Amino acid sequence: MTRALPVLTVLIGLIVIWYAAAVWMNSTWVYDQAERAGTTVTFAEMVPQTMSQDRPLLPPPHQVGAELWKGLFGQAITSKRSLVYHGYVTFKGTMMGFGLGIITGVLLAMAIVRFRVMDMSVMPWAIISQTIPIVALAPMIITLSSQLGLSGREVPKAIIAAYLSFFPVLVSMVKGLRSPDQMQLDLLKTYGASDAATFLKLRLPASMPYFFASLKVAVAASLVGTIVGELPTGAIEGLGARMLIGSQFGEPLIMWASLFASAILAGLLILVVGIVERLAQKRMGAPA
Amino acid sequence: MSVLILALVVWLVLWALNVWLAGSALARKGVGKALVPLIFGVAILVLWEGLVRGLEVSFVILPPPSLIAAKIASSLPVLWQDAAQTILKGAIPGFLIGCGAGVLVAILIDRSPFLQRGLLPIGNFVAALPIVGLAPILVMWFGFDWQSKAAVVVAMVFFPMLVNTVAGLQASERMQRDLMATWGASYLQTLVKLRLPAAMPFIFNGLKIASTLALIGAIVAEFFGSPTYGMGFRISTEVGRLGLDMVWAEIAVAALAGSVLYGIVSLIERWVTFWHPSQRH
Amino acid sequence: MKKLMTAAFLAAMGTSASAEDVKLQLKWVTQAQFAGYYVAQAKGFYEEEGLNVTILPGGPDIAPVTLLQNGEVDVMVDWMPSALAAREKGVPVVNIAQPFAASGMMLTCLAETGIKEPKDFADKTLGVWFFGNEYPFLSWMSQLGLATDGSPGGVTVLKQGFNVDPLLQKQAACISTMTYNEYWQVIDAGIKPEELVTFKYQDMGVATLEDGLYVLEDKLADPAFQETMVKFVRASMKGWKEAEANPDEAAMIVLENDQTGAQTEVHQKRMMGEVAKLTAGSNGALDVAAAEKTVATLLAGGSDPVITKAPEGAWTSAITDKALAN
Repeated sequence: MTRALPVLTVLIGLIVIWYAAAVWMNSTWVYDQAERAGTTVTFAEMVPQTMSQDRPLLPPPHQVGAELWKGLFGQAITSKRSLVYHGYVTFKGTMMGFGLGIITGVLLAMAIVRFRVMDMSVMPWAIISQTIPIVALAPMIITLSSQLGLSGREVPKAIIAAYLSFFPVLVSMVKGLRSPDQMQLDLLKTYGASDAATFLKLRLPASMPYFFASLKVAVAASLVGTIVGELPTGAIEGLGARMLIGSQFGEPLIMWASLFASAILAGLLILVVGIVERLAQKRMGAPA
Repeated sequence: MSVLILALVVWLVLWALNVWLAGSALARKGVGKALVPLIFGVAILVLWEGLVRGLEVSFVILPPPSLIAAKIASSLPVLWQDAAQTILKGAIPGFLIGCGAGVLVAILIDRSPFLQRGLLPIGNFVAALPIVGLAPILVMWFGFDWQSKAAVVVAMVFFPMLVNTVAGLQASERMQRDLMATWGASYLQTLVKLRLPAAMPFIFNGLKIASTLALIGAIVAEFFGSPTYGMGFRISTEVGRLGLDMVWAEIAVAALAGSVLYGIVSLIERWVTFWHPSQRH
Repeated sequence: MKKLMTAAFLAAMGTSASAEDVKLQLKWVTQAQFAGYYVAQAKGFYEEEGLNVTILPGGPDIAPVTLLQNGEVDVMVDWMPSALAAREKGVPVVNIAQPFAASGMMLTCLAETGIKEPKDFADKTLGVWFFGNEYPFLSWMSQLGLATDGSPGGVTVLKQGFNVDPLLQKQAACISTMTYNEYWQVIDAGIKPEELVTFKYQDMGVATLEDGLYVLEDKLADPAFQETMVKFVRASMKGWKEAEANPDEAAMIVLENDQTGAQTEVHQKRMMGEVAKLTAGSNGALDVAAAEKTVATLLAGGSDPVITKAPEGAWTSAITDKALAN
């Protein structure tokens, strides 16, 4: 309870600010309309009119909430109008990218820790790769992957998501695989342990806490990548596609509802990864 | 086909050179550290050029690096104009305002543990959200020019910065704070002399994250409306005209700008947090 | 009978069934702008011709022509300006049919800005779509003698996003709209038609040909592919005429195919009504005079023209001649 109270207070504060901003921002339209109609409106008349516009500049929370509710529970979840369905499409893309990102990140980290030349040549480029705005690359990735015969929108989306999510995994794994100190490494050497044995029995277990810590960041990055990938990849399915359509057809409510649906998805993903992390820690005997 | 084989041979030679360099005494010096990644980059470009020319990939799909370089050389004024609009007017002001606001809010709520406990989980959550989705909305609110781009950047960098600074302000040790108290230091003195310096590694971590986010935000926002110049504008327009060499030229500029921004932040970090273990060599 | 013979001919040629698979890439998202193809599919017109057609929607960052060149799709819907630009860049696309006879593009201005005729554009801000759609606009402005580089006395050009907000927020005096889409979004937003001034590109004499069907030149050299395209165009035009006759039904078919689930019945029915006006004058055959007009408009495109010389062989009547023969 002591933890929930401050969060609730801040949330309520934010909602109050949101309502105030909605009145302020949507009022221009009400006044303009009145002027065009040749009438005047008082402040008291104006406020209710800002609460239920079809295309508000900033929809008030209850409008977004209603649209979100309609999208989530208003129809069968298999319907194309269901946000659950589009959320699932985005979720699938996120998971594919997340998986691909983990594999790439871990393999690269292993190679970097094992071979000095990999460390020296690849690591700087891995950092530079993250400074390239992925959105600029997205259309290129789509054309290239279709050129390679990977048709469909799933693969390019997953590549974009993986591009963003491999980096946190890579950085943490390199740190983790290098975390055993010289004494431990020396000890294994006195046992006559092979490279492979050192890796399996010492380096890999030692890197696990680092690995799990990076997953939360990676899954969030993967979701961002998927949504960015859905914006330009031929707007068909997924939360990103709905945001785009909402923007194009002047339906701000669809846009806001998709935005909040993606927020919910992000929350769920981080929650699940957090639980997995805690379970893994417990199994590995970390203090609870 | 022979072009492809030649490129592969060059790639292998360069890789072998790198393996030798990494094992040699040069690798411990600055020269070697800069040379190895450089050779790796050149090798990739050679391979790219060879693949495109050898497999006769249409330039409309993937232009070879030589063509992109020629395009960069021939359109410097346009690239500069685009970069000035997107980076100098959109990304940098947004980065400064967003990061400044993040640090400031973190310091303001520092005295209220209640607000901190309320804001931190929400900030953590928002920092993980695809804020990019706000871009069309912010373009609608702030108009076409750089203001809306800066606004998107502010929205993207604010929360990571806030979260990192709040964590940083809690990084000083109990003993250090007690020591300050025994010296009769005021809240402000403790903040300036102990807690802010102790927070610097965290703040710079946030700044590094923000520096890459800033470019992404400014470019995405241009997809949803812009004047007739800017990097995002050029990329989306040239994709439509099949001017892919120009698109890659803009990507190269973006990568360069991103790396420079990141590099500047790292340099300042080294200078400010020289005392931190991670900076000792 | 002819159909039977073609089938027998194809069978004799040993063409596999997959030769009759046709992938169509649209220029934009699923909407009534492409109703003819969806209707032809839903009503089984493609099936009657022995075709298995897949319709792929487009999006903002997809240039249909790259997918066409990859061989990922067989035929695309594109506007002539961007198709000609692609041709000059070395992707040999050819127009095989032109279901849209007239252009639906226009500039929509707020009357309160004082704009009454094109010369009033001076010193105003105009919203334009880029991504290949800007060329007719630039050519129009250069004909009016208005600079588009932001110098005084000229016009300020904005790259408009995918919606009509710039007009509603008064960030631009005029914005680009399609008669069948964005114009109605402005009306929906509560602005009355009498508060708007519109300039149709068609009326201004700078119209360019919009949604046409394009294929790759070298593929067209293959007689089997030609035959498939003849069937495809014939069935598609049947779909278009059906859509014109029953616009409401066509709109519902489009809605069923919308995978985003964000399109609305009102929008699509109205869009279908307006699109029908543009397709009404066409039987599918390209009007060569209109195509040459498009080329002339593009060549007059000011300092940075999209095409530098008149194209050769950018359209053919071979397909439509056969498709419309019976």
